[in-house]
Amino acid sequence: MSETTRLIAGPFNRVEGDLEITLDITDGRVREARANSPLFRGFEMILVGKTPLDALTLTPRICGICSVSQSMAAARAIAQAIGVTPPAPGQLVAALIHAVENLADHLTHFHLFFMPDFTRPAYAGRPWHDRMVTRFTAAEGSAIRSATRARADLLHIMGQLAGKWPHTLSLQPGGVTKAPDARDKVRILATLKACRRFLESDLFAAPLEEVAALDGEDALDRWRRAAPRGDTGLFLDVAEDLELDRMGAGPPRFLSVGAYETPAGFLFARGLFKDGATGPVPLERVEEHLAHSWMTGATAHPFAGVTQPDPDMADPAYSWCKAPRLAGETVEVGAFARQVVDNHPLARALLRDGAANVRARVLGRLLEVARTALALEAWAAALSPGASHMARSHALETGRGAGLVEAARGSLGHWLVARDGKIKSYQIIAPTTWNFSPRDSQGLPGPVEQALEGALVKPGETTPLSVQHIVRSFDPCMVCTVH
Amino acid sequence: MSQSIETFYEVMRRQGITRRSFLKFCSLTAAALGLGPAFAPKIANAMETKPRTPVIWVHGLECTCCSESFIRSAHPLVKDVVLSMISLDYDDTLMASAGHQAEAALQETIEKYKGNYILAVEGNPPLNEDGMYCIIGGKPFVEQLRHAAKDAKAIISWGACASYGCVQAAKPNPTRATPVHKVITDKPIIKVPGCPPIAEVMTGVITYMLTFDRMPELDRQGRPKMFYGQRIHDKCYRRPHFDAGQFVENWDDDAARRGECLYKMGCKGPTTYNACSTVRWNEGVSFPIQSGHGCIGCSEDGFWDNGPFYDRLAQVKQFGVEENADTLGRAAAAGVGGAIAVHAAVSALKRAQHKNEIKKGSSMSQGEE
Repeated sequence: MSETTRLIAGPFNRVEGDLEITLDITDGRVREARANSPLFRGFEMILVGKTPLDALTLTPRICGICSVSQSMAAARAIAQAIGVTPPAPGQLVAALIHAVENLADHLTHFHLFFMPDFTRPAYAGRPWHDRMVTRFTAAEGSAIRSATRARADLLHIMGQLAGKWPHTLSLQPGGVTKAPDARDKVRILATLKACRRFLESDLFAAPLEEVAALDGEDALDRWRRAAPRGDTGLFLDVAEDLELDRMGAGPPRFLSVGAYETPAGFLFARGLFKDGATGPVPLERVEEHLAHSWMTGATAHPFAGVTQPDPDMADPAYSWCKAPRLAGETVEVGAFARQVVDNHPLARALLRDGAANVRARVLGRLLEVARTALALEAWAAALSPGASHMARSHALETGRGAGLVEAARGSLGHWLVARDGKIKSYQIIAPTTWNFSPRDSQGLPGPVEQALEGALVKPGETTPLSVQHIVRSFDPCMVCTVH
Repeated sequence: MSQSIETFYEVMRRQGITRRSFLKFCSLTAAALGLGPAFAPKIANAMETKPRTPVIWVHGLECTCCSESFIRSAHPLVKDVVLSMISLDYDDTLMASAGHQAEAALQETIEKYKGNYILAVEGNPPLNEDGMYCIIGGKPFVEQLRHAAKDAKAIISWGACASYGCVQAAKPNPTRATPVHKVITDKPIIKVPGCPPIAEVMTGVITYMLTFDRMPELDRQGRPKMFYGQRIHDKCYRRPHFDAGQFVENWDDDAARRGECLYKMGCKGPTTYNACSTVRWNEGVSFPIQSGHGCIGCSEDGFWDNGPFYDRLAQVKQFGVEENADTLGRAAAAGVGGAIAVHAAVSALKRAQHKNEIKKGSSMSQGEE
């Protein structure tokens, strides 16, 4: 009975980019999993030799759905290298633009990528299945339509503050090119009000403040039973029925490099959560391992790293993705990680044995939606028309800088080294590079590979449902992973 | 074969779209394509009587920005209708199935609609290492592309990736990313470049092809003239400042605050053919120049290697006057050349007014704003 069979799951739909997972299955459970990102474009090679400022337009093209995070990281890396700090109003506008994108991404993930899995015929007969089909059938469910609409409306703010989205251009090392006027401020506030209406009617069926104030499992349970709770309630029903909190445990370590920096500090703290507490992040101990990547070179910090694909794609490597480690260990990143690191009591209560799971990741994201929407309203109210939004800066000749930001899917870093006005080296670690990394030089699996171990595989399943739930709970963005 | 395929009208009705909404869609489409109200009944008639055109949408090396742009197109009705038309067939990002089921769905669609479907390609194939830099279902994407293209009646190359290679083809092009028309040479191909293309341009092109069952008129590069017939610069609302020699020289100077011309900050509007300055972005809200940042020329072939992006274009001539921006700026300030600048500014204003009238008219008929 303990025979091992191998299954290759993929290509996955409803994730950004391409992903393939090799599963070794014993006794109906995944014994080992290997995540492969089968798409490589070579951004780090293309950037070398270019003018440093060109990173502002090049790097957003890594990803069409988190392009603002990429340009934020590039702007920060250059800003650090030349030693410029945007004026406070510029920081505020940048935070607003960035948070709008992240919020929109969370809505896309929940409505378009994650929930439609539960409409499958395999779940017919479950008490929640009919509601699910009505709300979340791919491309035509009522929740999908209303969320797509709400998201498009929300992104009007991107148009107003940043000209266009995807691939926004207005973020610069010294601030933002667009200083909002009084009319912009009014329109942005109106757009956020409409967004709040959507969230409070469809997604939570409750005030945002109430969601943000939930402080543990008991509070969540009372809240859920007090009234119908929209699509969040629907998810809670599914999570309970399918025991999603026992599915997909990742590593018991969470990283956040800090989200939305304004003169008031980070909205969501920077830190490394392990052993029950949040501590400082040993950033100098970020390293990328290449032992199981189709890359040549040595383990290195991104300031010293190189990107040289191995054309032979030699064993034992199995992915284009490098394997980033923090002080030699894997870490999970993402919305849930941010909320845990920020010490939100509900997020901490959702942990099981110190690790995340499918339910925790999705609820963490929803919690962050509520908290982010509230922050957006406060920032919009604080916009200062007429103020200077850009500090005078100069061209980068020689120097180095790290740009660290929190994208929707987790920690994103750009490490730039410039010499004589040209980029000498540019290394990028994206959120999904952390989460979907292959094994490292010690042979230790990456976070999603670990989370898949033990997943249930039913007879006849070719792309097991449990595997899909676990994979999608991370909200992978494979185009970012390997760039 | 074709009698078994429904008409578009039947599809829409089945998807719960009312006849009233259907007729509204037809008039919106006529307006979006610049065809005038007389064309609405023709569109309606075509959609009621002709079998729908199936669409297969595949993804190669790319960042999904084209899909992202597309699913946010302006009018919810247009988006719903177009999505309902294409989601019936095959699209890897949005569809419900996964894994082998998805592969089977693709194969089934190809066989069922042999010779009848439009293949929409987002991204491009890398050809180095036998295409192994982009693997779909265990095979290089270039194979999926060739296979799906063989029985397509036409191909849409979405975005700069499919049209020109885009960022992954920038020097040194590590994977030898190659635009679709260099791999598929025996099919009609329409290029809809931009990084990404504007949502309304995407829906406009696909609606035109689905409705009239033919390609719109193309320019020499294979782009639809209706959207790529003019330069950003021709319809830019900051054009009067260019003509008057008023330029931003620093992101935070007074000229920047007054919204003057971004040419000296590297704006590529004068050499870029696209509809950004007329259709605009995110449902007509804005476009890069309106946010104080120059155009980077993302709908032009090889734009990544025309950088640096923040260096000005060399020697752009202004309305036949043999001066560049520096000398003209000085001349205008000295009051010589001023008359010409005024003339040009007035004509630009007239164009802008005319455009606003059209815009107002169409948004009124949409019942929005």
